[in-house]
Amino acid sequence: MLDILFFSGLVLYFIAMVGMFVAVVFKKDKLNQIAWYLFLAAAAAETLYMIIRGVKAGRLPMSNQFEFAASFSWGIAVILIFIHYRLHIEWVDSFGTAMAFLILSYAALQPREITELMPALRSAWFGFHIGSAAFSYASFLLAGAAGIRYILTYRKNPQDVRLEKMDYMIYRLIAVGLLLLTITILSGAIWAEEAWSSFWTWDPKEVWALITWILYAIFLHLRLGRKKSGVFSAWYAIIAVPVVLFTFIGVNTLLPGLHSYGTVILNMMM
Amino acid sequence: MKKAISFLRSMTFGIILLGIIVLLSVIGSLIPQSQSAMTYVTQYPKLYRIILTAGFDHVFTTWYFLAVTAMLCINLTLCSIVRFNAVKNHRFEIEKAASIPAAVQLEPEAVKKVEAALEKEHCRRHEFEGKGTVYTKNEFGRFGTFITHLGILLTVIFWAAAMYLPRIMDETCYPGESIRLEDGTEIYVDSFSIETDAKLDYKSVVNVKLPDGRESGLKEVSVNHPVSMGKYKVYQQTYGTIGKVTVTNAEGVQDEFYLETNDFLSSDGKNGILYDNLYPDFTEENGQMQVISSTSGSYKNPVYVYTVVEDGLQTDVMLAFPQDEQEIGDFTIRFDDPVEYPGLRIKKTPGFVNICLLLSFLVMTAGLYITFFVQPVQVTVMPDGYTVSGYRQEGIRILLKEAAAEETEKEKSDA
Repeated sequence: MLDILFFSGLVLYFIAMVGMFVAVVFKKDKLNQIAWYLFLAAAAAETLYMIIRGVKAGRLPMSNQFEFAASFSWGIAVILIFIHYRLHIEWVDSFGTAMAFLILSYAALQPREITELMPALRSAWFGFHIGSAAFSYASFLLAGAAGIRYILTYRKNPQDVRLEKMDYMIYRLIAVGLLLLTITILSGAIWAEEAWSSFWTWDPKEVWALITWILYAIFLHLRLGRKKSGVFSAWYAIIAVPVVLFTFIGVNTLLPGLHSYGTVILNMMM
Repeated sequence: MKKAISFLRSMTFGIILLGIIVLLSVIGSLIPQSQSAMTYVTQYPKLYRIILTAGFDHVFTTWYFLAVTAMLCINLTLCSIVRFNAVKNHRFEIEKAASIPAAVQLEPEAVKKVEAALEKEHCRRHEFEGKGTVYTKNEFGRFGTFITHLGILLTVIFWAAAMYLPRIMDETCYPGESIRLEDGTEIYVDSFSIETDAKLDYKSVVNVKLPDGRESGLKEVSVNHPVSMGKYKVYQQTYGTIGKVTVTNAEGVQDEFYLETNDFLSSDGKNGILYDNLYPDFTEENGQMQVISSTSGSYKNPVYVYTVVEDGLQTDVMLAFPQDEQEIGDFTIRFDDPVEYPGLRIKKTPGFVNICLLLSFLVMTAGLYITFFVQPVQVTVMPDGYTVSGYRQEGIRILLKEAAAEETEKEKSDA
């Protein structure tokens, strides 16, 4: 039952993504609308999956690489829905859906069995720290998605009226992501002091979270202080995405450290 | 001199320093830190000289990393001072703003839409007779970047204090015994247990007694749940298992001993047992017994290994299980169930450090929130259009542009 729900979410994201790209390329509004509803269905399936998994596990489903990836993808979906309905922005839907699909596909490659929470993770900070990380990474990925859309739109028509708003959206998503990443790092530091007696241990995960934080802090300084916006800002948002993905996937799989409990060796990929 | 200070406080310098920190952090995360020199020689046969000479084996404590961090602190301090002076002077000048002519010209209907959008944003309305209407919101928001930078500066300072000022001691203690610290603080370990379900957890019950007589009372210490008392924090760090025997003499007097490798239990120095080790488990195949040397959690089937010594000569290597007995002369040695004990980390931190660090975290987070979500708005609306003025205008500019465009679009479609 759980697997059916998970894979139906994955398949629906895929169909929605294809539908959105076809709709954008061939300017089919109706198809775009249908694809959006499919995306909503996928997000609903994923939400239901996360709830049932959480109830079965008796905890928040964020404890290993699979669960974090699923939460990450769910975070992208939630922010995308917020942007769509609250800010009435639709131009990021297609690339945002692609991001949600890709992250959930990565999750699908991980072992899905529900495991008991290990002692190091049994803390009140668990949901706060990992939840803010999932939403922070989701914001950064959506900023990257908005960056791609900006570049494509700019190449087609540098005078497009939507460019200013796209640029502003990239900045806002990064600002939200940075605030959430700050909360992630600081709550992680407080948690680390409770668990390991030190606020900071220069563990690879901590170091890469700091690197990500600094890169986006530099972005905001350049944008707000040096007025570096537009194409520069869009490319920056795109190029920073691999750093976020490395912090999420690369560190856990390639660099052993205190956060290695999040690692599940990628047997299927190796 | 002026030029040097100007550079030190500049954003360019700050970004250069952040770039260097990123670069060094990448190096520090890719090369394992604080390993023995031989590890680098074997793992990096072509690069080990560079790694060891440049200090890449301990990047985060090298002089140049600390120097860059110190320079970043100087940059942040100067930057914060300059920023404070700048934002302090960015007060809304509402009456003056009311006279600003409209920079964006609009039709009256579109102006109404703009006003409606500002009302929807909960802006305060200031009316002046014969002048424009000024809408304002979030004047305090101009301090956002200053608070953020101040928060980062305080975080770096108190983080360094929290890293280097505490005194950390790692101690082991058998249940029923105490650890006595230099200042007279006593940590009594009442009991220790290992949770043996799928995920291993270990818990100690301890009492911390300070020199002034204050006590924590018996409290459980486990991973994520240290016990705090005064300046001390006691963490569950690790655990161990030790063998134990009860020795009974001919008169029936008993005594208990913990066993460590090469302990020689003897009454006359010639006859006794030479203790070798305690193994957690064993396997048996075709009558052959094989001990298992490592395990996690409690010892399932503990096996004692020892040698009997007779007249100073070592004889056979023997195995014993808990409750087995070995007679040596007038003595009987009974092998007891092994004892599990905790490894505790005891941390003494100056009281102010953690509180100041947590406050710095709050200041930094609040600063970021104010910077991005409490943006100051000052808009002058005239009958023929509007002007956005003041600090950080981008968001409200786009919002009003959209509100006005909505009306223009409507007019077009009506026409």
